[in-house]
Order: sequence, then structure tokens, then C-alpha cells
Amino acid sequence: MTTVQKWFKNKKWIPQDFQKKCWKAYSEGKSGMLHAPTGSGKTFALWGGILNEARLRKKHPAGIQAIWITPLRALAVEIQQATQSITDDLNTDLKISLRTGDTSQSERAKQKRKPSFGLVTTPESLHVLISAKDHQKSFNHLNVIVVDEWHELLGTKRGVQIELAIAYLRALLPNLKVWGISATLGNKNLSREILLGSIKNYIIINAKIKKKIKVKSILPKNMESFPWRGHLGIHLLPQVLRLIRKNKTTLIFTNTRAQCEIWFYQILDSDPKLAGEIAMHHGSIDKKIRLWVEDALRNEKLKVVVCTSSLDLGVDFSPVENCIQIGSPKGVGRFIQRAGRSGHNPKAGSTIHFLPTHAIELIESVALQRGIEQQQIEDRIPFLNSYDVLLQFLMTLAVGCGFYPQKLFPIIQNTFCFQTLNKERWKWIINFLVKGSQSLEHYDEYKKVTILENGLLKVLNKGIVMRHRLSMGTIISDSSLKIRYQKGGYLGSIEEWFVTKLKKGDVFTFSGRNLELIRLHNMEVIVRKSKSKKTRIPSWIGGRMSFSANLSELLKKVLYEKDSYNTPEFKALAPVFFQQQLESIIPKSNQFLIERFQTKEGFHTVFYPFEGYAIHEAMASLMAYRISLLLPITFSMSFNDYGFELLSDKPFLKEAFLDNNLLTKDHLNEDLEKSINISEMARRRFRDIAVISGLVFQGFPNKPIKTKHLQSGSQLFYDVFKDYEPKNLLYQQALEETFDHGMEHGRMNRVFEKISIQKIEWKQCSQPTPFSFPLITDRIRSKISSESVEDRIKKMYLQLEKLGK
Amino acid sequence: MKQIKIQQQNFVLHSSGAIYWIEKATLMLADPHLGKIAHFRKNGIAVPRKAEGVFYNKVARIVDQFEIKRFLFLGDLFHSYQNNEWYMFRSWVKNQKAKIILVEGNHDVIPAYKFEKIGITVVKELIEEYFCFSHFPSKKEGYFTFCGHVHPGIKLKGSGLQKLKMPCFFNSTYQMILPAFGAFTGLHILIPKKEDKIYVTTGKEVIEIGEN
Repeated sequence: MTTVQKWFKNKKWIPQDFQKKCWKAYSEGKSGMLHAPTGSGKTFALWGGILNEARLRKKHPAGIQAIWITPLRALAVEIQQATQSITDDLNTDLKISLRTGDTSQSERAKQKRKPSFGLVTTPESLHVLISAKDHQKSFNHLNVIVVDEWHELLGTKRGVQIELAIAYLRALLPNLKVWGISATLGNKNLSREILLGSIKNYIIINAKIKKKIKVKSILPKNMESFPWRGHLGIHLLPQVLRLIRKNKTTLIFTNTRAQCEIWFYQILDSDPKLAGEIAMHHGSIDKKIRLWVEDALRNEKLKVVVCTSSLDLGVDFSPVENCIQIGSPKGVGRFIQRAGRSGHNPKAGSTIHFLPTHAIELIESVALQRGIEQQQIEDRIPFLNSYDVLLQFLMTLAVGCGFYPQKLFPIIQNTFCFQTLNKERWKWIINFLVKGSQSLEHYDEYKKVTILENGLLKVLNKGIVMRHRLSMGTIISDSSLKIRYQKGGYLGSIEEWFVTKLKKGDVFTFSGRNLELIRLHNMEVIVRKSKSKKTRIPSWIGGRMSFSANLSELLKKVLYEKDSYNTPEFKALAPVFFQQQLESIIPKSNQFLIERFQTKEGFHTVFYPFEGYAIHEAMASLMAYRISLLLPITFSMSFNDYGFELLSDKPFLKEAFLDNNLLTKDHLNEDLEKSINISEMARRRFRDIAVISGLVFQGFPNKPIKTKHLQSGSQLFYDVFKDYEPKNLLYQQALEETFDHGMEHGRMNRVFEKISIQKIEWKQCSQPTPFSFPLITDRIRSKISSESVEDRIKKMYLQLEKLGK
Repeated sequence: MKQIKIQQQNFVLHSSGAIYWIEKATLMLADPHLGKIAHFRKNGIAVPRKAEGVFYNKVARIVDQFEIKRFLFLGDLFHSYQNNEWYMFRSWVKNQKAKIILVEGNHDVIPAYKFEKIGITVVKELIEEYFCFSHFPSKKEGYFTFCGHVHPGIKLKGSGLQKLKMPCFFNSTYQMILPAFGAFTGLHILIPKKEDKIYVTTGKEVIEIGEN
């Protein structure tokens, strides 16, 4: 019997199958991927194997032997405590330490002097370790890297960071074992391939834990007054309050931080007795407050917590009895994960309440329920060719011990993300770092990475080293400012663009408090509490999530099938369906619906492919581009998961649209590419790229470093690359990411193939239909134009300063 | 181009962002931020070098259109400390017959004597007729101010939910803020009052904007 098995026995626990399988595979020296839901005992499954092996060794060398990576700092704290406590129970003197962005300088120095057996860390902090000059020595005894919650990292640029770090470490240590722990994914094989790379000796283990999940839609009493649009769902507040009162602890999941703030405020406002028992949890709130909320949840001190995805992961909250999801969770996988937060006993079922924020979301609720029944979990789509992350990683090596490009090239190519990286592009990247361009020019004073005599690439300039070290790991990129009380005490962080809209004395709501802006100082927002009721709620530029291909298929099925009309949701929707059918239709599987109507805003043309946000974003831009070739016209576009809208100040004719066959799949990719170029949608993508690749340096609070005259926004970089260096790989990356990411390859083609066999139903309506409402009222828009800037300006007018301000 | 009258004097607002004062044959430019790109490159941020020559091309185009006896830079001529851009600028200065005056801006950290050595007069502020020329916006009793510093831009709205941000000449009752002349400089969006006049520059045209 192994050490850990004995430990289980002493605790009177019975190991689960997947745990035993993990221990066995680990003892055989295998790498692997474990698919297990949160709260199922997955930490023991992997850590057990590691400890069993460690116990066989009599003497331990001084050096880290196991690295455990988690996506969240809060989670890292938790894992460190859990693993240290097993290790202590087993009477080993092995230490597990914690290394995240929050670890103090002195603790870091201590870890360096006396490395512990295990290290729990985040992707960013792992890169910081690699940037140390003597990192090869510190990793000498490393046996295993475990990546926890891999499904959360996969499909993000932090996932690419992990890929790079693992490829690099495996080149140093050919026997390194790599393990991933992930919730169930659609694309399991791909997820393994990305993390484990070329490792042959691996195993995939699935924990067979199927929880019963019940979904209940919160239906309004009176559907007639149910809004056709909106994203808050506040009209269902009474039902939510009733649920809160009925249960011991309730978690309310919102999709955005702004939504989170508003719900918190509304609940407290209508039931002030909850004060002291209600809390809020989102990514911008200061760590200390978040930790307090998590503890209070576990200790049953709270009755309700309003949160965002910040509480999706890890951290076990047994007392939670009830979950409410506000608005669409956008995917079956995420919904299951959130539902799993309640009734945390593996065998107990979970209930989640779905609160639709507008009528059409009720259709989605039915689709989600089907998805859960059929366990249709979506894929996570990995990033490809993220040159920004690669440049950051190369700088990380260059500020440390340096690198030899020829030696490193095959290692980089070995990653999934850069598998198609060719010599030419590699050369471009190296040139970009060394010369700042592709040819050497006169009078150029560019300085970044230097080639030493022996061919080693290294950064010699201290300022550049310093700036890189400070900005490393800024994958979560928005320029954010810390919020601090005048008397001291941090509240969290807020995006700069919101703060710049505020004037001294303005009041805004943050973390449930009304705060008055006193001043901005050294990247800090200094505030004091305010009693003013006139307050603004910050919005954070979060990425908008799109339906997965899965959910859009489910949605269509639900809409097309007769059965659905027997569900309580569809029954409740009857008046909305009636209204929709007055002038338009509910499309059937062989119909493609287009609606046209006019309002004081202009001419609206609304398309309904039901393919999810990502596809619609691309399709809208493609359609707008094709129409704009017929006549000079400017479109403002909006998209959601059901369809997209093209709005213009003049109409285009139905006949012109149909006769020119603008829904053809011919020249699809070509037209898409051209539409990206003129739509400037890539601009938004470029924000992240500019920060990650180190073009935009933001400066840091409490770190007085000379960045005088070096600050510039990503927008300026975008313009200057577009105008003067469109071949720049970072600019190209922005174009590629615009439509490629979030969309499985070839999906667009399939969508157009489907449309080609559908009948186009163009409905002329006298007023907006219920289906169109969420689209036409959306204010986040993109534009495409084939008119000259001058012609457009001549039709425009000024927004004057409002009186009384 | 657009000709306007201020205090009985005639000014041409040029689509490049410069202003030509007809009576005095003077060309005003604000915020060229020369050497900004070189400064970034020197610090390891690879802004394309091709963007560097923009200033000289733009000025050459204006010189072809007007008779210029005097250049008046309204501050932030250079972005930061001296770098190789200085030599390009120096040779441009050599080829100019017109007098050159620099009104100092907050970015002008290159010492004045260096400018004076190549024949440029450096002043903190210039007063002529009923006009004040300064880098920073200011309200001076009895004078009309021409200034820069702000990099003014404006938000436009149109039917069909159209929106656009453009650089502009921002003309209030007592002053005119010029748009930034330099490339790679950015915009600061201002919200006008009823009495302000806004002239948008597109690079091709200057267009006066009305309210809704």
C-alpha cells in the first residue's frame, strides 16, 4: 500500500477510481491529462502521486521538484494550503511554497536561497522565474509540472504562456512529466496535445462523476410586460429576493462586473436587512476583500454573494445551496460549472436558476437544458501564432540568461501555438527585437536586444530590463488604476478609460460603495465615501462572449422543434411569438430571415442566422462590405448570438441585395479579409497585442521609474503600423485574431453552405419586431463605410456640452 | 482650406492643421513632436521609421502654396531629449529663408541655446497686435490667443448612429487651439459649448461643423 493510500485509509476515505488510476500512472512515470470537475478530489489525485514518489526517495536534493500552476492567485493560496496539509499529515518535512504576484520581495529571496519541494504558482510567475539569470540551476531537480484548471487557460493567451514555458523547460529537462487537470471539454484530445506536446508516454483519465443538474427558469408573472431587451433583469428582483430568503446561501452569477455592481446595489436597496449578509466578488475588487468574501462564504456567514466568473473556479463552498445565473452563460460548459457551485457534495444534485434578462433568452434557457441533458460540452479554441506572447517570452529570456536563436527555434516550433512558424517569420521576429525593423537604416538609434560575440541574444540596457520585468505577465492587459481611500486602504482596480471620464467630485459606485473622486495620483485613484445618490457605475471592457457552435446548434434545434412549445419557457413566450409573427416570422430550418424597418435612427436591416456572436460579427462585416461595393454607404453594425443588424442613414434595396447574390459563399475568405481591413475591427484586438508585446508601457504604482515621454496608447501604434508598416506581424496578428479566434476553422464556410439551401425571407415591417429589439438597442457597434470621410463629416453634427454641467 | 477673420486679420486654416496668417505671411504650427519616434526606438519600442519623415513632407506641401516669411512653432517642437532627428531638422532649417520662432512648450527640453545656434528664436510667449501666441491655452484680457498643447479632437454624431472622432481647430471666443501637427501624437477629445466654432481637419479638407 502506498503512503497516500494509507493516509486515505486512516481518514476512512475510499479513493475514487480516477484517483487510483492517477496514482498508478504517476508511479509508472507517465504524463497525463485528468478530466475531473471541481470539488471532486482532483488535487489529491495528482498530489498523491507526487507524494508517493517523493516518499520513495530517502534524500531530497535542494531544488524545486514539483510545480503546480493555477490560473488564479486566490486558487494558488488554497492549493498551497491543501497540499501542505497533506504533506504535513504524512509527517514529511517537505515544504510547499507559494509564488504569485503577491509574494513579497523577502519571501522571494528566501525561496531562492532555500527552494522548497513544491511550488504553487501562476503562469505569469512561472515566467518571472524563467527570467532569472540562473533559472537553469533552480529547475535542475524538477520532476513534474501540473497545470490545474487547464480548460480555463486553454483558449487564452495565458495558455500560450504555459505552452512556451513547458516547451522551454522540457528542452532543459527531457524527463519532465507534465500533467493537466481540466473540467470536461468537447475537444479532449486537442487539449491534451496542446499541453503535453510531443510526449508519447501519457494517459487520459476521466473521472466519471455525473451530477444531476436541474435548471429552472425564473419566469415573470406577466409576460405582457416582460421587456424585449435589456441585460440586467432587474424586473425579476422580487423572485430573486424570494429565492434568497428561502435558501441558506445563494450565489448570484452575473456576466459583467457592471451587472454585478448593479445587482448588489438593487438587492440591498430593496431588502436593507441583508446588510452584513450580502457581499460582492469580482476580478477588480481588491484581493483582501475577495479573500474575506471567500472565507465568509465557507464559514456560512453570508446569505448571498453577487459575483462574476471570478467565483467560477476551484475554491470549494460547501454551504452554497442555490445558484442564480443572470442572463446567458453563453455555453453549456460554463453553465454546468456554475451550477456545480451549489450542493457541493459530489452525489448531491445541483439546482441553478436561470434569470432571463430579456424575452428571447428564454429560448436559450431551453437550449441550455437540452445541452446539459446531452452533456454537449463545447470546445475551447486555442490561439495560434500569438506573436505578442512570443515576443514577450523572448524578452523574458533575453533579460535573463539570454538565448541562441538557432537553438531556440525548434523548441518554439514544437509548441502547438507556433507549429507553423517558419524560418522567415522567425527571422522577422529576431530582427524586430534586435533592429526594430527588417533592414538596417542610417541614423537609427534603435536599442533593445543585443547580439553578443558568441551569438547570444541579450538585453544590456538596464532601463529596458527594468521595464520588461515590470510589465511581464501583463496578459490581462487593460491599463488599470488602483482605487484607494484617502486615509489608506485599497478597494480594487478600475480601468483607466472610465476614470478619465470622471471629474473631481464625481461619484461612482465600486464594490458596492459610493465613492467620490478626490484626485488621481501616481496611477492611483484617491477616493472617499460619499452619500450622494447620483452615482455612475463603471463598465469594464470585458470581452464579449459568444455562443459556442454547440449552443447555437442547440438553439436552432429548440427553435425549430415542435416539442419545445410545450416547455414552460415557450409557453411564457407565447405573447412575444405572437407579436413577432404579426409582420414577420419565426424562421424554420429551411428559412433565412431578414427584416427591414425604418425608425428615426435610420434604416435597419436585421439578419437572423442564429450562429453565435463570433460568426455574426464576421458576417455583419462581410455583408456590410459587399453591400458597400454597390453604393457609397456607411453602416453601423450590432451583433448578438441570434443575429446581426446593419443600420444606415439611407436604404439599400432588397432587389439589389438579392439580385447580386450577396449571400454567396464564393470569395468568402477574400471578402472577409477586405472587410476586416476597412472595418477597423482589428483595432480592438490590437489593444492586448500592443500591451503584451511591450509596445505600450503603462508604468506602475509605487514604482518610480523613468518613463518620461514613453507613454502612448495602443491606438496610435495601430494607426502608425497600418499606415507605414502593414506587414508588421503584430498588426497582421490583430487582423488574423479579429475573426479567426473564437471561431472553429471552416465554420464560416459551413454557415454559408447552409444558407445557400435556405429560402431567403425578406420581411418589410412597419416597426421593430421582438426578435430585433435587443439588436437595435445595442450601443456597442462597429462600422463599415464606402463613403469618403469628408462626405460623412458633412452630414454630421456636434455633441454640445450639456447645460448645467 | 478655410479663410476666417479674427480681429480684422485674415487667417487660413490649412487641412494639414497649420494656420497661415495672411497679413504677416506667417505660418503657425503646434505640437510637431519631432523625434518622438526616434525616442521610442532608442528605448526599445519599434515604431516604424517611415513615419518619421511626415513632418517635412507636410511642411513642403504648405510652403508650395503660400509665401512664408516666418514660421511660428507653438510649442512641443521636439518630443524629448536630443536624438538623431535633430540633424534632420537642422538641415531643414538651413534650407529655409523664412524666420523661425519657437514658443516653448512643456516637451521642449532641448536647451534654448541649441535652437538659437541654428538661428531659431526661442520665446516663452509672443504678443503681436491684439494676439497672444503661447503653447498653453490661456485667457488673456484684451487679446486673442493662438495655442497648442491640447491636441484637440472632436466627437461627431450623425444619423444611423454614426460616430467619428476627428482632429480639429477649436475656436472659442477668446482663443484658437490648433490640432497637433505631428504624426503619432494622438487626440484629446473636447466637448464644445454653443459659442465655440469647430473646424475639423481631414488632411484633405477643413470642414466647419454645425450643431444638430
